[in-house]
Amino acid sequence: MSVIDEKFGEVGQADERQLKLLMRDWRRGRADRNLLEAFQDAYVMVFAVVLIGAMLISAIVQAQQSVSGCDTDQCLAARGLLPWAAVASILAFTLVACRMFGPIVASAAEGFWLMDGPIDRRKILAGRLVGALGAAFAAGALFGALVAALTGSGVTSILTWAAAAGLGAFGLTAFAAAEQGVERRWITATLQWVVGGLAVATLLALVGISGGWISVEPLQELSVDFAWIISGAGLLLGLVSALLAHLRLRNIRRQRLTAGSSLIAGMQGAAFAMDFALVRDILVEDKAKRRGHVRATRGVGMGVTALIMRDVQRLWRNPLPMVTWLGTMVVPYAIQALGIAQLNPPISALVLMVALIGFCNSLRVLSRTKGLQRCFPFDPGKIKTATMVVPAALALIWGIATAPAFIGVLGGVRVDVVTGLTAALITALAGFLAAIRWVSAKPADYGGPIVSIGVGALPPGMMFSVLRGIDMVALVTLPIVFGWPAWISLAIAAIAFAFLRSGMDREALMEQQAEQQKILAAEKAKRKGGSGGAKSGADKIKVQRRR
Amino acid sequence: MGTVARREQVLKVEKLKKAYGPVTIIDGFDLTVHAGEAVALTGRNGAGKSTVLRCIVGADRPDDGTITVCGIRMTETSPEIRRTVATVIDDLDFFPDLSVVEHLDLLARAHGIHEPDDLVDEVLEEVQLVPQASQLPSTLSSGQRRRLALATAFVRPRRLLVLDEPEQRLDVEGVAWLGKRLKSDLADGLAIVLASHEPSLLAAIGAREVQLGVPRA
Repeated sequence: MSVIDEKFGEVGQADERQLKLLMRDWRRGRADRNLLEAFQDAYVMVFAVVLIGAMLISAIVQAQQSVSGCDTDQCLAARGLLPWAAVASILAFTLVACRMFGPIVASAAEGFWLMDGPIDRRKILAGRLVGALGAAFAAGALFGALVAALTGSGVTSILTWAAAAGLGAFGLTAFAAAEQGVERRWITATLQWVVGGLAVATLLALVGISGGWISVEPLQELSVDFAWIISGAGLLLGLVSALLAHLRLRNIRRQRLTAGSSLIAGMQGAAFAMDFALVRDILVEDKAKRRGHVRATRGVGMGVTALIMRDVQRLWRNPLPMVTWLGTMVVPYAIQALGIAQLNPPISALVLMVALIGFCNSLRVLSRTKGLQRCFPFDPGKIKTATMVVPAALALIWGIATAPAFIGVLGGVRVDVVTGLTAALITALAGFLAAIRWVSAKPADYGGPIVSIGVGALPPGMMFSVLRGIDMVALVTLPIVFGWPAWISLAIAAIAFAFLRSGMDREALMEQQAEQQKILAAEKAKRKGGSGGAKSGADKIKVQRRR
Repeated sequence: MGTVARREQVLKVEKLKKAYGPVTIIDGFDLTVHAGEAVALTGRNGAGKSTVLRCIVGADRPDDGTITVCGIRMTETSPEIRRTVATVIDDLDFFPDLSVVEHLDLLARAHGIHEPDDLVDEVLEEVQLVPQASQLPSTLSSGQRRRLALATAFVRPRRLLVLDEPEQRLDVEGVAWLGKRLKSDLADGLAIVLASHEPSLLAAIGAREVQLGVPRA
């Protein structure tokens, strides 16, 4: 069907399918290598995938073997409950991701070029809906199966948990897509809190069972077979919601579609540079943009105190990190209950690190660029120390609150009070230092030497970006895992703290050193009678051109 | 402000040299700025105006030459220098979770101002950000962000103000306001170094122009 336009003459109807094929052709038709060739070039990535895969399989095999060591009713019940917590966490995470990105997204280019045209938006976006649902199912099933395997479950149980997590994620993603079609957020947000609360409640139940506060009996009712009910419910919700979502695809605003994709694009860029702190920055910025404004509060104190007190005021302004921080206090108890007390310090420290990052916003902003830092009349070390006060206090409180877990009061391996307290303190210290390192480490330096690898050029620092924070946890907690004296961990923590605190001062020291060398060189030149003066500024720059 | 104070040397740049790789941007650059004096760096794009300013505030390290501020050798991390020099160049960042008014309150308090409410309100009104006082920086327009950046320099004590194209993204009224504000600060003995392409702003503050690079034919 066509219409006659006064200016353009006969104008035909846009065919969405042809448009999509044209886009595919532009995208794929210009590729200069196939997938196999790309993999051959990316041997480092392939090697890394193989290595991580081997480590995972080894961990699963070890977990399967260690089930025999977990023979008490409490321990077995606690292990049985862990996949429930994992499924609840996966479902909560699915909802978070759906709310953040869409779940249906379109790129900025598609938003600008395609959505502007007289096309049926549903025909363009239907594929996206299917893609989002497929990705949610696959990722949910994979993580569900992984956790079940790591807790030593049998093959049938692993498949059951995979189905529960996968179909649950599928159902919730479809539901979020249907909600996206009517521009409604509150139901998804409420659901997210309910499912997240269930995940924490399951962890608490796990601790309660191992502590003997909750009877093991009711857990038998919550058998693995019950997971099939979740699968069925997820499938039903998914199918109904997917149908609704498909019907509502035409209603989604262009801005709502492209906002998620621009967020993904920004995060992709940061993730390719392995700068995960930058990924978080993008998310924080996006959250701030959505929040828009706050009820302004008057500051407290003067000088450095004002900076510290702002961090204290932030605790009330944004209580979510506080909830997370409180929730992580369960982790050491849960690990003890699972019968892996020896690994409690590193695992709990990693969890604490994640919880404390939310309290390091000041440190992050003042570390990433010098512009704002320069506005404060303090040396960088002082600024860094001031911004560490609140996270340090929270780490200390966390250490005190979790000390009974390390002592073994609520089950697991019982140790004397001093040993348990020291382990709790070292874990809290490791988590704190790891968070500081993660937040304040410099990104890879693209101005320095670059190493050539199969996939292109790589600054050497980038390889260590992934290890940020984890390195601190390993350095501080591994000595006690190996059974070495606690003072070794404390000494390493003290050195690490001094290093992290002076991270910004190091630049100043280098500047001073360079300045002194300049003065020395000038003195030498004077003594030799050389002018040492500057060359004329009129020197012309020769632009190099290839013949 | 007396005559003696006005003649006080606030900034001295001697034989400044800065190169990026094989390209020398600035070489043998000298500059002296006194209290109550405004110096405008002018020149074509790429002449080195921003480079000089970045060296003056310590954002970039010069390859050669010396910079002293109020008799103190320039070290970007020195608290004395940070107390003395207020800057608005393109590397200013904001806390994503603090509102406009909270940024100014925090900076004023950090600089030792005990009850900054009146000062902050005054500056907010000047930069016309009162309606946006409780907004988070990410929701501001580029012009409003520029005004907030300028406000951070006005809400704290300073003896030297360094501005890189402060008229950028400001509307006509904003440029006129800035001219008046800088003129008033100059009368109070502030020293100003700025790079600008806005003749009306330079005329308003009576800036001494220093041409960088070869003038356009």
